[in-house]
Amino acid sequence: MFGYYLDLALRSLRRHMVLGVLMMLAIALGIGASVTMLAVLHNLSGNPLPGRSDVLFHPQVDPRPEDLPGAKDEPPDDLAYVDAVNLYRLGIAPRRAVMSGNWLPVRKDAPDSPLAMYTDRATTADFFAMFGVPFLYGSAWSAQDDAGHAQVVVLSRAMNQQLFGGGDSVGKTLVIATKTFRVAGVIDDWNPQPHFYDLNDGAFGKAEQMYLPFFTWLDLPQDYGYGPMDCWGNDPNAGAHDPKAKQCTWAQFWVQLDTPAQVADYRAALVQYSTQQHQLGRFQRAPNVRLRGLLDWLDHKHVIPVTVRMQTWIAFSVLLICLVNTVGLMVAKFLRKAGEIGVRRALGASRRDVFAQCLVEAGVVGVAGGLLGLPLAWLGLWMVRQQPVNFAASAHLDPSMLGVALALAVLSALGAGLWPAWRASRVAPALQVKSL
Amino acid sequence: MRILFQIRPILAALRSHKTAVMLLMLEIALTMAVLGNLVFVVYGTVQRSRVPTGVDESRIGVIQSIGVIGTANSGTIENDLAVLQAVPDVVAATYGGPPLWFTQRDSVFLDPSHGHKLGRVYEFQGSQGLSRTLGARIVHGVDLDDNEIPAVTRYTPTMEIPVLMTKALGQHLFPDGRALGGVIYDSGNNPLRVVGIVDHLRGSITGSPDDDWSIVTEFMYGHQDGGGGFMIRVRDAAQLPEALRAAAAALQKANPGHVSNKTFTMAELRADYFKSDLASGRMLVAILLILLVVTALGVSGLASFWVQQRRRQIGMRRALGATRRDILRYFQAENFLIVSGGVLLGAVFAYALNLFLMRRFELAHLPAHYLLAGAVVLWLLGQLAVLGPALRASAVPPVVATRSV
Repeated sequence: MFGYYLDLALRSLRRHMVLGVLMMLAIALGIGASVTMLAVLHNLSGNPLPGRSDVLFHPQVDPRPEDLPGAKDEPPDDLAYVDAVNLYRLGIAPRRAVMSGNWLPVRKDAPDSPLAMYTDRATTADFFAMFGVPFLYGSAWSAQDDAGHAQVVVLSRAMNQQLFGGGDSVGKTLVIATKTFRVAGVIDDWNPQPHFYDLNDGAFGKAEQMYLPFFTWLDLPQDYGYGPMDCWGNDPNAGAHDPKAKQCTWAQFWVQLDTPAQVADYRAALVQYSTQQHQLGRFQRAPNVRLRGLLDWLDHKHVIPVTVRMQTWIAFSVLLICLVNTVGLMVAKFLRKAGEIGVRRALGASRRDVFAQCLVEAGVVGVAGGLLGLPLAWLGLWMVRQQPVNFAASAHLDPSMLGVALALAVLSALGAGLWPAWRASRVAPALQVKSL
Repeated sequence: MRILFQIRPILAALRSHKTAVMLLMLEIALTMAVLGNLVFVVYGTVQRSRVPTGVDESRIGVIQSIGVIGTANSGTIENDLAVLQAVPDVVAATYGGPPLWFTQRDSVFLDPSHGHKLGRVYEFQGSQGLSRTLGARIVHGVDLDDNEIPAVTRYTPTMEIPVLMTKALGQHLFPDGRALGGVIYDSGNNPLRVVGIVDHLRGSITGSPDDDWSIVTEFMYGHQDGGGGFMIRVRDAAQLPEALRAAAAALQKANPGHVSNKTFTMAELRADYFKSDLASGRMLVAILLILLVVTALGVSGLASFWVQQRRRQIGMRRALGATRRDILRYFQAENFLIVSGGVLLGAVFAYALNLFLMRRFELAHLPAHYLLAGAVVLWLLGQLAVLGPALRASAVPPVVATRSV
C-alpha cells in the first residue's frame, strides 16, 4: 500500500509542480535556519571531555563573612589560597589539581632574545592525567616537582613551534618571568570547549600556551594578575594583589572521584573541613559547600552565550512560520484533489486510506525539503564560521545533527500535513462525484 | 475608486476559502512579530556601535608596554612621555589607558564612611596629560593642571585628589546641579574634588546610561618605572598609523626591560569591541531574509493556486466585460486585504513576542513605529509576491468561460 501511495504522491507532486516546489523550499529554508542554530547550540553545550566528565568534580567552600552585602547563597566559584592549599593537601581524591592562569613574559634562553607575553596555566601534576591531555613529547611533571617548586614547563604545540621550531624540545630551557625553566613535555593541540576548568575568561576561546607548576608559579617575581581575583571586606592592602590574602578567591580546583562512595566521602570531607575552619574562626558561615560534576557545573554557569540562545529561538520561530506556510499550501493542494479523493472514496477507499495517502504525500515533501535543507544548513554554518565570534570554531555539522535535521524535516512536514490530510479525508464523496 | 466596489465580492470569495486565508493571515502575523522584534534588536546593535566614547577617537593610539618584574629597566615615566611627545605629529602623550579597554570600575559615595552607595563609575587613572590626550571636552570648570595634580610620590591614603567628572555622573550624584566643586569618595578614603565637568566619557558602551558615569584622575609621575597602557594623540588622524609605529619603537628603545605587547588605534579598538555584536546582527539579518522569502513563497503559492482554481470565473468576468486591469486589481486588492488582516493580528503577536524577549533577554520596549514599518514592508512584500499570479490571472482569455473544465 505504501508503495502505491508513494507513487500517487509523486504523481500528484509532479502535476502541481509549483505548489510542491514552494512547499519544499519553505521547509528547506526553515530546516536550514533552525538546524544551523541547533548545531551551534548543540556544539556549544557539548561535553568538553566525553568519557571523563562523569568522574570530574568542582568543589567549592564558603570563606565569606556573614554580613557581606549583596552576597548570594552560592559559595564563590574559586578558592582562596589557604583553602586551595588545604584542599590540595587533603589528598583523599584519587586525583586533584589546583590551578589558575595569567600571562607571563617569556624569551628564549639566549642573550638579547626578544620578550613576548604568553598565556599560561599554573597547575599541579595531576592536571594532565585527570583531564586526559595528549602529549607529543616528554610528559607531565611529577608530584615531587610540585613539592620541590621545580622550574619545569609543559608547552603547547603552537608555542613549541614558535620558540623551538616544533621539534622535540624536552630538556631545552627558556626564560619565564626572569627565571630559567626546563621543558618537561610538549602537548598536542588540546582545547576542550567549553573551557570548563576556568570559565572566568569566557567559556569559548583559545587554550593556554604553556603550563607551569602552581607553587613554582607563585614564587615567580610577578604580578600579572591572578585571574578573577575577587576580594571582600576593608583590606588595607587592597590594591596590592596579594595572592595569599585570606579574603581573596582566585584559584580553581578540580578533583577526580571514581565512585559514588568517593563522591559522598569527599562531600563529607568538605563539610568537615568547613566546620573545622569555622571552629578555627576563619569561616564565619555555617558549612556551605558544593561538589558539582563537570556537566552540572557547566549547566550552573550558563555557558551558552545569550545571543546564541536568542538566535536559536528566532530560528525556530522561522521554522514555525515555514510550517504554517506549508499547512496553508497543503490545505490548498489537498482541496484541489477533492474530485480525485471523491472518486477514490466512491470506489471504496476508507477515510483512513485517504488520510494515509495524504500523509505519505506530506512525508515526501518533508524528505525532499530536509534533503534540500541540509546543504542550506551546511552553508549557514559556514557563514557562522566566517563570523568574528569566539564560538565560531564550534559551528560544524556532525553526523548526529544530520540525522536530527532529516528527522526534524520529516516530522515537521508530517505535522504540517496532519490537519490538511484529516480535512481531505472528510471530503464527502457524493458531492465531489456529482460535480465531476 | 472601482477597487472599492470590488471589496464586497472579494470578501465573499475569501469566505469560501476561510481555512487557507486564516493560515495565510497567521503566517503574515507571525512574520510581522518576528520581523519587528528582529529589526529592533539589529538596529539597536548598530546604533550602539555608533555611540561615541567622548574622546578624540580618530586621533588616539595606544601602546601596551609591559614591565617585566625583576628586570632592571632604565626607563622612567617622565622620560617615556618626553620620548612619545618627541615623535613627529604627537600633540599629547600619557601613561594610562583608553575607554573600552579594561577601564576600572569602582563604587562611589558622597560620605567618607561609605554608607550610601551612589553607583559604580568608570575610573580613568593615569599620569599627567591623561585628560589632554583623551581630548574629552570640558564644559564647566577647568582641566586638570600639571601644577595641581598630586605627585605619585607624595600620595597618602587620605589626601584630596582633583578629578574631572562627566556631565551625566554630575547630574546623577548632584541633582541640584552643584557637581562642580563637589566632593565624592570611591572605595578608598581619598576625597575626590570635582574641578571640571566633561561632556561625555564612556568607559564601555553597553547601552546603559551609566556607561557615561566616569571620572578622570591624574598623578604626576617622575622617575618611576611603569608598564601598562600608554596613549598618544596626534594632530592629524591620517598620520596616526605612522606616528603610532614610531612612538612604539621609541618607547621600546627607552625601555629595554619592557615587553612591547600591542599597539592599536582607538578605531581598531572600537572595531574589535563591537565585532562580535555586529556579527550576531548579521546572522539575525540573514534569518530575517529567509523569513521574508518564505512568507513571499507562501503568499505567491496560495495566490497561484487560487488563480488556477478560478480560471473559469475569471474567464466569465472577462466575457462579461471586465478588463485585464480589473482582474489584476482584484487579486491585488484581495492580497492587500489578507495582508492587512495579518498585520493587525501581527501587531498583537509582535507585542507578545516583545514581552517574552524583554523578560528573557532584557530587550527594551518595542516602539510603535517599528510595527508601522513592519506593516509597510509586509504590504509591499505581499504585493510583490502576488504580482506574478495576478498577471497570469489577467492573461486568462474570456474564451475559457465557454469551455468546460
